Amino acid sequence: MSGEARQVAAHEGAHGDDLVVRIGQLTRMLRESMRELGLDKEVEKAAEAIPDARARLNYVASMTEQAADRALNAVDRAQPLQNEIESRAESLDQQWQTWFENPMELDQARQLVTDTRGYLAAVPEMARETSKELLEIMMAQDFQDLTGQVIKKMMAVILEVENQLLQVLLESVPDGEERDAMKRRMESAGGATRQEAGLVNGPQINAEGEDIVSNQDQVDSLLDELGF
Amino acid sequence: MDKGMSILVVDDFPTMRRIVRSLLKELGFTNVEEAEDGQEALGKLKSGDFEFVVSDWNMPNLDGLEMLKQIRADEAMKALPVLMVTAEAKKENIVAAAQAGANGYIVKPFTAATLEEKLNKIFEKLGK
Repeated sequence: MSGEARQVAAHEGAHGDDLVVRIGQLTRMLRESMRELGLDKEVEKAAEAIPDARARLNYVASMTEQAADRALNAVDRAQPLQNEIESRAESLDQQWQTWFENPMELDQARQLVTDTRGYLAAVPEMARETSKELLEIMMAQDFQDLTGQVIKKMMAVILEVENQLLQVLLESVPDGEERDAMKRRMESAGGATRQEAGLVNGPQINAEGEDIVSNQDQVDSLLDELGF
Repeated sequence: MDKGMSILVVDDFPTMRRIVRSLLKELGFTNVEEAEDGQEALGKLKSGDFEFVVSDWNMPNLDGLEMLKQIRADEAMKALPVLMVTAEAKKENIVAAAQAGANGYIVKPFTAATLEEKLNKIFEKLGK
């Protein structure tokens, strides 16, 4: 921009374009200072962190959605089972009530007894099915651990970005009261602990990649190779 | 195999500890205690009488791998079976865990069936 500004000034004369020239010169100075201090690299890194944060948020959104679907589907499957258990029991109970008030013919009673026995035989199976769905709902809550880890990592990234940007800002402020105040604010906010422990990465957001093991089967075959 | 065996579940997320505890209960293991990081876990292991550890990797204060290494380095605890249950899913993770002496490795998200299978595999190998 500074180059263009100078050309414009040269063509159109010095008056109102004096301001434009001065802005151009200041911009150039700022960029050169940043380059000298290595701060342009920091800003670049901050900018690069944004897509990473977006990917992580995407992961969190899709994990929570999947978990919700899983739980709701399990409820959909279990509900009819519970309804059936309830309605059949009620109907049989009513029939027995009627029979007690007005004992009936043996043949009809036999039918009621058969139906009741049929119901008792069916209940354990239906209860087991419902239990399975309850287990499924419980397992669906595992998203919370995975999304929690990703969110923690994201907060660390954001903290780092914030620090870098504050650093840039700090350097641009001339020595003096304002700078000292900023420095104090930064220090009290706490610097990000840049813990790049290579083995602690959290859940893999993108399952592609040669060194990533995306499911238990892959884990198992690798363990087999290692003799486990 | 004694279903009354005391098991320590280590994970910094309470939800995950709860899920693992429920699954162990389904499988008949009701003698379960919890720790929220490697540091707390080592404390409990040293003073308690645990026979099995199910642990996450990514935890504050002391992570699962470091905890495992310290367990294997301790005279009294070195034979303690440790099953890793973690979201860390790079090959180098599995290799590191195996080399540090983990008895098994489950990657999150996992199913109840997987947990049961891996537990049984470990018990088999230990002759329990």
